[in-house]
Amino acid sequence: MKKCRHEDLIDDYLFNRLSTEKKEEFEEHFFNCPRCFEQIKEKNELISVIKDKGDSIFKDMRIEEESKNRTRNKIFGFLSPKPLISAALTAALVLIIIFGIIPNITNETPEFMMSDDAIRGSSITLISEAIPSEFRWEDLGNNIEYKVFIYNDELLWEKSTQNNTISLPEEIKTKMIPGKSYSWQVKAFSPEGTLISSSSKVQFTWRKNN
Amino acid sequence: MKNSYDLKKITSKYRPIVTFKVKKSIGSHTPEWEDIVNEIMLNTIEKIKSGEFKGESSVGTFIYTITRRRIVDYIRRKKRRAHKYIPESDPFPDPHEQIENKERAEMLAKKLEELKPKYKTILYLYYYKDLSRREVAQRLGISPRKVSERVHYAQKLLRNLIKK
Repeated sequence: MKKCRHEDLIDDYLFNRLSTEKKEEFEEHFFNCPRCFEQIKEKNELISVIKDKGDSIFKDMRIEEESKNRTRNKIFGFLSPKPLISAALTAALVLIIIFGIIPNITNETPEFMMSDDAIRGSSITLISEAIPSEFRWEDLGNNIEYKVFIYNDELLWEKSTQNNTISLPEEIKTKMIPGKSYSWQVKAFSPEGTLISSSSKVQFTWRKNN
Repeated sequence: MKNSYDLKKITSKYRPIVTFKVKKSIGSHTPEWEDIVNEIMLNTIEKIKSGEFKGESSVGTFIYTITRRRIVDYIRRKKRRAHKYIPESDPFPDPHEQIENKERAEMLAKKLEELKPKYKTILYLYYYKDLSRREVAQRLGISPRKVSERVHYAQKLLRNLIKK
């Protein structure tokens, strides 16, 4: 069976990681390519089952992961589990205070701590009066490279930085629509390029001032 | 000029594709998806019958254009109706609605559980934890290409296990 050169895009398509232009190009393609469509259906089914029943399918995986994390934490001493847990709790608390109790403060910058304990896929809705001028997360140590991602339905913007804050460029801000949900995520890499930690995707929306 | 498209064939071939695209764009939990698919298929047939579609593109591209426009239109109208409520496309393939065949899903889950750790790990990191190919490669100390190959092979295994 000959491979279609578009096949590699299927995962990115299903996970909404393609730009609008690429997405439309690929959609037009699979409307014309029965082979790709068959594969999409198959993968979509597989991913659906994995997302739906993953907890039980991978129960033994998670135990293994945890023990691996422990070894990893020994190597990256600054990432010992206790501070991480407290960081996660603090993060939750900060979020609740800032966005739950006093939601109407203007120009508040969402602070978001990240840690390995952050649960993937969970989301906290932050409502901000304006587009946050700055995104901030907990610093994990020296020489860590962070990658920040902003998503709408798909990846809108990404940028690497060594700092623990980032501001959005104007051209991205103008693309963002009030009332629509966006989410952001931070991943941390060691100097060797190994992924150390990945935050969950956190949702945010902003209201227009008028 | 009369054209000689087999409308029945076109409908049966493209309806599943249109259905997939519509559900993915507006969310399969949105009850209107079926009406929208029907409209798109009817519209397609009308345009072919009336000769508006002259074959300047492939039938697939033609139907894709109609589908995309209809979805844009739906989202725009919905926005106008309720300012703040905008339908969001599914973040992932919807786990509950898109599994049409429950039994098949159960079986797939069982087979997944029985996979060798080598393949299970890759599916766990790549599809369950949503890591990118590069991240999975880094975690496992293999090349990104190897990640794709392993995912591909795991799928092939599953396909064969289910056929049996």
